[in-house]
Amino acid sequence: MTVSWKDGLKLVGISIICACAVFVCTFFMSYYLDALSVHGEVAENALKLYESQLLSAKLTCLISGLCLLLVSVVLLLFYVKLYLDGHAKQIGILKALGYGSGKIAVGFWVFGLSVFLGCVVGFGGGYALTPVIYEQMSGEGLPEVPITFHAELLICFVLVPTVLFAALAVLYALYKLRLPASELLRGKSELAKGKPRIPKKNRPFLREVFFETLRARKTLAFFVAFACFCFSAMLQMSVSMMDLASVTMGAIVLGIGIVLSVMCLLLAFTAISSSNRTAVSVMRANGYTLFQCGAAVLGSYSIPAVIGFGVGTVYQYGLLRLMTELVFRGVEEMKTYRFDVPVFFIVLAAFLVLFGVAVAVFTYRTGRTSIRKLMAE
Amino acid sequence: MILAENVTKSYTNGKTITPVLKGVSLRIKKGELAVILGASGSGKSTLLSVLSGLERADGGNITVSGENLSAMNEKQLTDFRKRKVGFVFQQYFLLPHLSVEGNVKLGAFLADNREYPEIIEALGLGDKKHSRPAELSGGEQQRVSIARALAKKPEILFLDEPTGALDENTGRSVLDYIAKLQTELGFTAVMVTHNPFAADMADSVIKMNSGNIAETYCNEVRKSAFEIGW
Ligand SMILES: Nc1ncnc2c1ncn2[C@@H]1O[C@H](COP(=O)(O)OP(=O)(O)O)[C@@H](O)[C@H]1O
Ligand SMILES: [Mg+2]
Repeated sequence: MTVSWKDGLKLVGISIICACAVFVCTFFMSYYLDALSVHGEVAENALKLYESQLLSAKLTCLISGLCLLLVSVVLLLFYVKLYLDGHAKQIGILKALGYGSGKIAVGFWVFGLSVFLGCVVGFGGGYALTPVIYEQMSGEGLPEVPITFHAELLICFVLVPTVLFAALAVLYALYKLRLPASELLRGKSELAKGKPRIPKKNRPFLREVFFETLRARKTLAFFVAFACFCFSAMLQMSVSMMDLASVTMGAIVLGIGIVLSVMCLLLAFTAISSSNRTAVSVMRANGYTLFQCGAAVLGSYSIPAVIGFGVGTVYQYGLLRLMTELVFRGVEEMKTYRFDVPVFFIVLAAFLVLFGVAVAVFTYRTGRTSIRKLMAE
Repeated sequence: MILAENVTKSYTNGKTITPVLKGVSLRIKKGELAVILGASGSGKSTLLSVLSGLERADGGNITVSGENLSAMNEKQLTDFRKRKVGFVFQQYFLLPHLSVEGNVKLGAFLADNREYPEIIEALGLGDKKHSRPAELSGGEQQRVSIARALAKKPEILFLDEPTGALDENTGRSVLDYIAKLQTELGFTAVMVTHNPFAADMADSVIKMNSGNIAETYCNEVRKSAFEIGW
């Protein structure tokens, strides 16, 4: 088995995130660099405006760039892991036939392709949008900022991420492939790791499923938490960005936040639902109701979800506090950032509704796989 | 008692309709061990799934210990399966992240059965009860799935090729467990197998041939799993 370029391109999620990140960074960094070059021509009375424009460009670039970089790294590692788990048997066969881990892992460079694609789209889009952003940032007394093409940005935002991500995918695959062939073949990689905790004597079955499902695949739990983290942090942040930077910026962060968190959650739930198909169909065959299955299997992920949401709230508060203090330090009209309680509750309500719907939909989908279908596989 | 009258079932795949059961009638008495034999593709698994309420038949009547399955909706069928039946499949279908004990609890919970540790012992799994399925051999995994089914205290146990994935010796010992526990606990057992020798273990034998019952007969004496050929 080699990882085909089609597998590489299936990582639409990463492409989207990279496109978003590079898009935002491209036009703000272009503006920043171009605006720096006209420093001498700024009128005396517009100097303050000029500086705050520069700062605002730097702020948005930093926040969204760093935030999205983190997200894409996590997502890439997760994809590689899911891919390896899904192909554990084939990889086991290859290893049994004598292929080295290195040889298999190198094939994972194709996962860099999706990064490349996303970055190119983002860069193109960002560059195409520069006239609009320059227009928006202009003001009385500010000289016209010329649009120049920055080759160094192309390198930083397209080439470097592609190479780094390809390398990351290969290294991570190499790390995950260290198990011997026999274990990969038995499908032990994930599930038999660690001793099962001696079950509490009289823990009811459904509660046992609840906790063990969560414990068995910690990556998935982490990913659900992460999705909810993105949702909570980015949605709340977008409102503050509308106050601190610009409405456009806030709207962009809002859009990215929604796309990102919905995508992460879909991906995680798809993986959860496919890894628990047997459990749910066996439970259904024995006479458990769909509601019982849903509450015990997918419902258990409400724990990481709530944790993710909480951490996201704290994170966005901390990040914005820090950034506003760093960036606006010394600027006279310092904008202060306050925690927005009504927005918190609105975002929380939206989150609860969305998560509930996701659990219901995925439980229904998982429950439709009858045991007969599994027998035929 | 299981009573089936003129049961039909077909699968639709796009435009092609495959008739799988073409009017099956049979009667299985309470407390007996019935074996269903037949070539692969003859409809054995399908018959088992309509008799156990996993799937609904298209036509005909199925009555299981006085309850008419044909008249039930999805919810009632779920409840019927909960109260009456246990399953053992060729592929075991154990929950991989639960221990042996956890898997057996799946059945015990539905019947509010607190004595399930006894069943684990009876199937010789006492010292493995904290292991996970991936750490067990095929025969042990199948014994776990039998324990899970019996922990439910089913009136009827349905087994679909329970030894299909096992070697001869392991298969014999699993069959032996089934027959012994069946006599001991007195449940009805309906077992699909493609091992013709297993017929000698049964009280009654049903032979299927492409969606029809080809032959049924009863045995005067049951042989043990170690007396039959293989
Ligand atoms: N879900 C399904 N859709 C279409 N055809 C099916 C389905 N399930 C079973 N069949 C067909 O029904 C026939 C009988 O299947 P089955 O009952 O599994 O046979 P057996 O268990 O005797 O080997 C087979 O030809 C099979 O292809
Ligand atoms: Mg079959």
